[in-house]
Amino acid sequence: MLATRTQALSRLLDKATYALAIVAGALLVAMVLTISVAVVARYLIGAPILGVNEIVQLTAVALAMLALPYATSSGAHVRADIFDRLLGRWGRFAGDLTTRALSITVLGVLVARAWAKVLDAFEYGDATNMLGLPIWPFYGLIVLGMGACILVFALQVAAILLSGKAAHD
Amino acid sequence: MTELGIGVLGFGALFALMILRTPVAFAMLLTGFFGIWMIDGLRRAGAVLVTETYSAVANYSLIVVPMFILLGNIASESGFSRGLYDAAHAWVGRLRGGLAAASVIGCAAFSAVSGSSVATAVTIGKVALPEMKRLGYGAGLSTGAVAAGGTLGFLIPPSTGFVIYAILTEESIGRLFMAGILPGLLMMALFIGAIWVVTWRDPSQGPRGEAVPLAERFRLLARAFPLIAVIVVSIGGIYVGAFTPVEASGIGAAVIVIIAFATRALPLDRFRHAVMDTVRTSAMLYMIVIGANVLNPFLALTGIPDGLGRGLAALGLGPFATLMVILLSYVVLGMFLDGLAMLVITIPIYFPVIVALGYDPIWFGVVAVIAIEMGMITPPVGLNVFVVRNVAQDVSLATVFRGVMPFLVAMILCLALIIAIPGIALIVPNSMFQ
Amino acid sequence: GAAELKLADFQPPTHFVVEKVYAPFAAAVEDATGGDVTVKVFMGGELGPGPAEQYNRVVDGVADLAFSLPGYTASTFPMTLLTELPGVIDAETGTTRILANLDMLSDEYRRVQIVGLWNNAPNLLFMAEKPVHSMADLAGLNIRVPSRNAGLIVQAWGANPVSMPAPEIYNAMQTGVLDGAMIDATTLGAFKLAEVTKYITQGMETTISDFFLIMNRDVFDGLDATAQTAIIEAGKQASINGHDAWSGIAAGALEGFAATEGKEVITLSEDEAATFNEAAAAAVAQILAEAEAEGIPAQAFVDALKGE
Ligand code: NA
Ligand code: NA
Repeated sequence: MLATRTQALSRLLDKATYALAIVAGALLVAMVLTISVAVVARYLIGAPILGVNEIVQLTAVALAMLALPYATSSGAHVRADIFDRLLGRWGRFAGDLTTRALSITVLGVLVARAWAKVLDAFEYGDATNMLGLPIWPFYGLIVLGMGACILVFALQVAAILLSGKAAHD
Repeated sequence: MTELGIGVLGFGALFALMILRTPVAFAMLLTGFFGIWMIDGLRRAGAVLVTETYSAVANYSLIVVPMFILLGNIASESGFSRGLYDAAHAWVGRLRGGLAAASVIGCAAFSAVSGSSVATAVTIGKVALPEMKRLGYGAGLSTGAVAAGGTLGFLIPPSTGFVIYAILTEESIGRLFMAGILPGLLMMALFIGAIWVVTWRDPSQGPRGEAVPLAERFRLLARAFPLIAVIVVSIGGIYVGAFTPVEASGIGAAVIVIIAFATRALPLDRFRHAVMDTVRTSAMLYMIVIGANVLNPFLALTGIPDGLGRGLAALGLGPFATLMVILLSYVVLGMFLDGLAMLVITIPIYFPVIVALGYDPIWFGVVAVIAIEMGMITPPVGLNVFVVRNVAQDVSLATVFRGVMPFLVAMILCLALIIAIPGIALIVPNSMFQ
Repeated sequence: GAAELKLADFQPPTHFVVEKVYAPFAAAVEDATGGDVTVKVFMGGELGPGPAEQYNRVVDGVADLAFSLPGYTASTFPMTLLTELPGVIDAETGTTRILANLDMLSDEYRRVQIVGLWNNAPNLLFMAEKPVHSMADLAGLNIRVPSRNAGLIVQAWGANPVSMPAPEIYNAMQTGVLDGAMIDATTLGAFKLAEVTKYITQGMETTISDFFLIMNRDVFDGLDATAQTAIIEAGKQASINGHDAWSGIAAGALEGFAATEGKEVITLSEDEAATFNEAAAAAVAQILAEAEAEGIPAQAFVDALKGE
């Protein structure tokens, strides 16, 4: 019963992280376009667009944060697998739980601090130098991206506990 | 506990976490966070988390990462990489290990547009690895060649490594770039030599292809046109001053997307696949940068880097022995640390020592960059190896690490040659700048 | 109580700021507090890389003190950055004028404690290949600018302002992406720009960047009155030392550049300089008007700086 519910939740979360990643993909394409337009404007037309690097930078923030939950849920993060066999079944089980418990803790602190930055940057009207784009939404994206990663890890913990097996056994 | 003690504990924890299957990015993040907490309290540790996360993802020069990964993914999804490899195979496939050698040459060519080892390994890896697999190459040789070949991205200009070294030491960026050219070509030649030795001992690692008639070879060469066009536009555009190396990554991606759509080589679903894989891999790499950004201030706070420099000077060894101690420390640090982090931490310590011993500062820049590149492919933390492993999903990390060993030997040989004959690094800059 | 203050700086450990500014600052603070408060310097971005995030690092408490440029967080310091406009301060006396009017800026330093604030040597026109003797020579050229305000000035001079991170300038001037850069003479050495610059034009009123030394507000408030006074006093001296160090290095670098074969420092004739200054003055007036419209007492501050 609990296992079925966890699986249903996981599927739902997978869909959500994939949807965020699609937005990241759109931003990737936008980034290519922005850089190309900026180069054409400066080199061919002789009218450089001031502050274009700020657009590209902030797009990169959004891209990374929106794609991170998808990368996490699809197991993209590289890890050393040299010791897997040495660890044994219970070692892998314990390792996977420890990793996720600690990661949830640290990402939790990160999300709390990033949320404080959202409020602070909003209150003081922090903005980029050339274009004056507001910064607070981008701290907000850190809250969103890292918060979604916490959910991904939490559901993985549930799945590991319910199955009694390490993540990829 | 003293700060030094916490530092040593931190190294132990980093190691333990990685054994316990914690992803590298998170192992660095956790060690950095808890370490700073122990030294300076939760408030500062939390502050480091949020400022360094933002600073890592908002880093302008890192945009080359998603751009080059996209370039590589489009090349492989549209079949352009296959075209290049069919051509390379037709021309050099008759030779034992010919495609692995072609990949190393491809890395060297791509290094001339990319300032980063990782970007080089990812791009050429996306192109080369599936093709070498298809043509029967051993997993160890093919992944090893790409992981090691990627390190040329740092040695052959433009290079982020040289820029950072120059800024840390107030040496000339131009001279350093010039100094990287010959060692880069030498390294490429030694890598090809390593491939020759590996396939001589075990021909099944890089099987000979069949002879291809000359007319067919030229027909296949035409199919390599899209990627050649991208390289020509990217390098040419930098050369004529149309765009910067960072912008070249975006232009390269744009050009390949345009050619792919124009030649109807890229159905929409494959384009979507390439884009989704790009954001996924980019996010993974950004997370590694975030982890390194949190780990680095922890190391600074432990005072370990500082103490090492003073200790080295206090040892009072001769010039050669000191150089060897420094290189040995790079081997050890390179096992755990990211290349750029290593430069930033070690150069301020070692540079004054090296210059006081009478070594040429430009030459040491080349030596340090090669030593740091070795760290990119040594276990347990070898960024290039992780990146290549990520491209070649079905190959185990251990196989890649075994595969890079012959190339590591080639790098040691290259380093030895440059130490024995400093002119390899210095002749070009000395003849260009009077 | 005893406290060790961590000072973060993104510049290389070999930078002159260590000896000329931080060493006397640390000694003064330590002396005045009887060794209760010490300062430990972390150079080379050890506590976090690059100039852009240093302000946030101090606000959040990654570092207790940090060196940076207010221009990297321009939206927070609109009034401070009025000092960078052409004709507002004189590069020689600017730091003392700013320090004398520091209390007018207190609203901008609510999130941090301002410790030091000094001006750099003036920004000059570094040109890769094309000499600039007059405003006509600048028409349509791509010039890298350090800030939005500098961009408006360069635009008023008839050139195209380009924004780009400072470490990229070297390559971009070498390949021709940039025709030139508006930047101070210390970068001839610090960013090796002497290698890619053939001509430097000076003589017009130009933008002048600021540096600051800021402190985490909670950490400052947590110190006793003696320590606070010690830091403020040492900070004032650090501002003077910083100004003198930067202007000395800039003067030496410019002299060395002029003495190098194939390099030329062009000093504008009085007439030509006047053309530049007129064009810039119109842009400055507009920037001041915009600031006033946003409720910033811009004109009053500028008048105070000029001693009017
Ligand atoms: Na390169
Ligand atoms: Na390594």
